[in-house]
Amino acid sequence: MKIIETENLTKKYKRYKKQEGLAGSIKGLFHREYEEKIAVDDFDIHVNEGEFVGLIGPNGAGKTTLVKMLTGIIAPTSGKIQVMGFYPNKLEKAFKQQYAVVMGQKSQLFFELTTEDTLRLFKEIYCIPEDEYKRNKNFFVDLFQVQELMNVQVRTLSLGERMKMELIAALLHNPKILFLDEPTIGLDAVASKQIRTFLKDVNESRGTTILLTSHYMEDIKVLCKRSVVVNYGRKIYDGDTDMLFENYQKSKKMTIYFEHSVESDVPEYCRVLEKTDDKLVLEIPKQNAEKVLESYIGHYPIRDIGIEEEEIGSVVERIYKGV
Amino acid sequence: MKKYLEIAKAYMKAQLIWRSDTFVDVILAVSKILFAWILWSILFEGKKQIAGLGFQTMISYYIISSYLFQLEKSAEISQQMTGMLRNGTFSKYMVIPVQTQGYFVAMEAGKIAFSAGIGFLATFLWFYLFRIPFVHTANIKILLCGIIMVVLGLLFMALLNYFLGILTLKFEEINIFLMIKDNLSAFVTGAVIPLALLPEWMIAGMRFLPFYYVTYLPSMLFIGKCEEEAITGLIVLSVWCIAFLVLNLVTYEHDRIKYDGAGI
Repeated sequence: MKIIETENLTKKYKRYKKQEGLAGSIKGLFHREYEEKIAVDDFDIHVNEGEFVGLIGPNGAGKTTLVKMLTGIIAPTSGKIQVMGFYPNKLEKAFKQQYAVVMGQKSQLFFELTTEDTLRLFKEIYCIPEDEYKRNKNFFVDLFQVQELMNVQVRTLSLGERMKMELIAALLHNPKILFLDEPTIGLDAVASKQIRTFLKDVNESRGTTILLTSHYMEDIKVLCKRSVVVNYGRKIYDGDTDMLFENYQKSKKMTIYFEHSVESDVPEYCRVLEKTDDKLVLEIPKQNAEKVLESYIGHYPIRDIGIEEEEIGSVVERIYKGV
Repeated sequence: MKKYLEIAKAYMKAQLIWRSDTFVDVILAVSKILFAWILWSILFEGKKQIAGLGFQTMISYYIISSYLFQLEKSAEISQQMTGMLRNGTFSKYMVIPVQTQGYFVAMEAGKIAFSAGIGFLATFLWFYLFRIPFVHTANIKILLCGIIMVVLGLLFMALLNYFLGILTLKFEEINIFLMIKDNLSAFVTGAVIPLALLPEWMIAGMRFLPFYYVTYLPSMLFIGKCEEEAITGLIVLSVWCIAFLVLNLVTYEHDRIKYDGAGI
């Protein structure tokens, strides 16, 4: 069953184009020139209930504008949009009752109060019956193992702890759709992994439809079966995430820290991104990553190795160019 | 309704977190009474009445009006809203199932309830401990009118500031509107020019504006003065409150659709 549907969805912004300098500012008092920016262009997307969809694209691609329209925060300029059978921008109470938004860099929690206090407030705002409230709260608190943090003032929580609390607050009313905007931004590897495990669990056990916007390829790769790539407001890929990485992710970034200064050989198909006495950063064709890893592990005194996925911008560029 | 009570409660709890602020609030409430006592004692030296009020009545008026004045903090609604709309954090109120107008009024009520409670306790204790004669009306109906007027007055100010806040959806820069409101309020309450210097028709006209009834008239009613204006005051304030409730709903619904910068 389709839970999100858009057809030819378009959003145009009008923005003031100020001329340079003080003279330009004064001129702007009397006469202003505006330019039109198309943030989302003829966008079609259909999301089925229970899907976990990754929305990826470089900065300014139109992801946030799309999510703003889906959540009803802004109105589209043209096209059709329907979320759970509602026209989002009407912001009907019944609509808002059924979704949640979590933004990595913004908070729904009361910083002066404890998470427990905020959850109590959310219970009333979403009219959650007492038994359901307790059941859901306990479920999520157990899942995240955050019992001891519930009565701590939110402002004293770490970024990772706060994000866990944001997610609990967002899911307390059993939303049908969860919109996530960069939920792992700024988090360390352990916290990011915990958040991913939690989201996967929520999606699978509760059937919550999740639309995830992230710059971290790892988030998308681990969580989303389906990915939608956006660039210049247009959808340039919509399909299987594994296929996306298989077809368009050509390289990996490998960072090697040596125990002491060594003179290492670099295979010709690798590109050296950084080289110091005890550190080497290489861009390696994906198919050769294992071979390179083995060659270094066996032959050099290695202190640490890190392998990162290729950054999203390069992948998008490749899809866009069709290479 | 319960959700708005819980919102008010949350903001009240948030105020109680800061112990030093709570302590300063109590100190300020007490020192205000002490200051009034000293000031008016000096002014009343050798006089029985000033502006038709005796010493005890004047002290009572001063304390009540400054107490009510201290409660009226709704300007922060418009400042908070304009700040959030500009930096893109206002959307967090748009995506939850509450009316934003109700949310901000409840938020203000929670903050006021805290200040009102602290101020009232400190004032009451001070009056009681130092046996200061408190002049007040003995007419229960007038007392009740005064209390309702205070509630309506604070509600009106919250609604007015919410309205000024949502003007950010259209104008982005609302400082000019805030300045007009502050000056108008100061003018009508006699803070700019003594009302006695104004022509009678102008003073009569001001009676139709709500500001006169926010702190001045309730203070007078509590000390047993201007009782004949009580009903008029309630009617005028009620009409203004209803008008702004409707105006806010219409303006918000109209302007938010055209606004693109609500952030996420």
